[in-house]
Amino acid sequence: MLRYLVAAVPTPPSTFAGVTEALAVLVLLLVFVMLREALLRSQVRLYALQSLAVSALAGVLAASQHAAELYVLAGLSFVLKVVVVPAVVLHLLGEAEVDLAGSHRFGVATMVLVGVVASVFGFLAIGDVHLNPAGPGGLPVPALSAATATVLVSFVLVMFRADVVSQVVGFFSMENGVSVASLVLAARMPLILEVSFLFDLLVAALAFGVIMRAHHRRAASLSTETLDQLRG
Amino acid sequence: MLLAPAAVQALQVAVVLLLSPVLSGAIARGEARLQGRRGPRVLQPYYDIIKLFGKETLAPEGASWFFLAAPVVAFTSFLMVPLLIPVLTNFPLPLGYMGDILGGGLILALGGFSVALAAADTRSPYAQLGSSRATTFGALIEPSVLFVVFAVALITTTDLPYAMAGVDRSSLAQAIRPAHLFAAVAFFLVVLSDTGRIPVETHTSTLELGMIDEARTFEHSGPALALLKWGSAVKQMVLYVILADVFAAPWGLAGSRQLGPVLLAVPILLGKALGVGAIFAVVDNSFSKLRLYKITEFMTGAFALSAVAVLVLYLGGG
Repeated sequence: MLRYLVAAVPTPPSTFAGVTEALAVLVLLLVFVMLREALLRSQVRLYALQSLAVSALAGVLAASQHAAELYVLAGLSFVLKVVVVPAVVLHLLGEAEVDLAGSHRFGVATMVLVGVVASVFGFLAIGDVHLNPAGPGGLPVPALSAATATVLVSFVLVMFRADVVSQVVGFFSMENGVSVASLVLAARMPLILEVSFLFDLLVAALAFGVIMRAHHRRAASLSTETLDQLRG
Repeated sequence: MLLAPAAVQALQVAVVLLLSPVLSGAIARGEARLQGRRGPRVLQPYYDIIKLFGKETLAPEGASWFFLAAPVVAFTSFLMVPLLIPVLTNFPLPLGYMGDILGGGLILALGGFSVALAAADTRSPYAQLGSSRATTFGALIEPSVLFVVFAVALITTTDLPYAMAGVDRSSLAQAIRPAHLFAAVAFFLVVLSDTGRIPVETHTSTLELGMIDEARTFEHSGPALALLKWGSAVKQMVLYVILADVFAAPWGLAGSRQLGPVLLAVPILLGKALGVGAIFAVVDNSFSKLRLYKITEFMTGAFALSAVAVLVLYLGGG
């Protein structure tokens, strides 16, 4: 009887699709961890870890499609997102000498549940878009859904956490979600486009760095709650 | 020599019954070594149980008959579960289809519920506190359990533990598919919470304020306490076996009812359970206990994992 049961099981995704999807969902799960993380430095390290997963995803796609430019992209995104950007933000944090900024406006459980709702919405929204899964190598639709959910949960992170670092990291992880989506949808996008995304990110990192320093100098804190008191 | 199905089934229960204390002892020993202590003997739980069986049973004044019946009910329920799950064989035994994963969960919950009820019956504040906490946190972890079951149901189109293990074995792609991995990790977190481990509870602690499960047995003594201790060792081993034989590593089980393979499956099972126990010991020593009001964060984490497992499956991929 067991043999018939096992034979009736729907087929699993191929190993390539499975790895792609697992990495994409890992990116999503790391945003959930960011919702909880209280220490600002760990927040940045989580972002580095998330970017590592994105770079690994690019590497896997490069290996499966034998695309040299994807290897370049994986290397570039590793250098920029795993090393340079986190190092810059950590350096800025070192100057600020702040470890914690009370920024949990809501309980962690509430935030995670809102995040779950947001990601359900993301998954269902993409599920309703009938993409052709029979492309070269097959289009891993769940990975695309996970990328959409990543963007939405990053929004939740930016909205619910009231410290500059979480908001910066939320913005960056939104960019990671978009990277996953673009890798999955159109892995062979011209390299120049992908690289311009990355430089966009670098500019954003610089701009956020300036904002972080200015805010810290003025408010002596990295929490954005005092911004409510600004009057024009 | 071909064993009768009933004999194999009885052997499954006997193996869990007899080996569970040595598993607890080995984990306690391993934890002690990780902390730089020498630690108790591996066989210490057996001595504890034997000692307790030789003592007299005392019940608090005003406690009803259920106070003394509860340890027996709990012990029996925990021993029922090995009938339903793959312990030694990879094919279902006659009573294997008697209950699915939900059925097994229900029986485990019945055991926990009777202990909590007996604790509430004692009128001792600490036992009642443990009973109320155990019930509350048990209810909070339940959504994750349900979503793991949903994931299993979507993967296998049944909710039988044997079918899940069979599907895991059928191909590498099935074993590493994301939904299976996430459901397995979510179940790992559930086991962490159900066996009273850090980050939910310090299981060796004697500090009442942080106690959840351990506080429930405060008023029991003698053979009743022995049954409770033995029962919690059995429950721990049952959960480890489900984690290993259904989700993580359903290999090394006997494929037939021949005496040789069935007997060989026993040391392999113990090895797998010890491996799972080693992971739990390392987790126990690497993290700190969460404050009582932060435990919900851990549980929402487990829930998010299992929900993602179901979502990935829902889209037809994963």
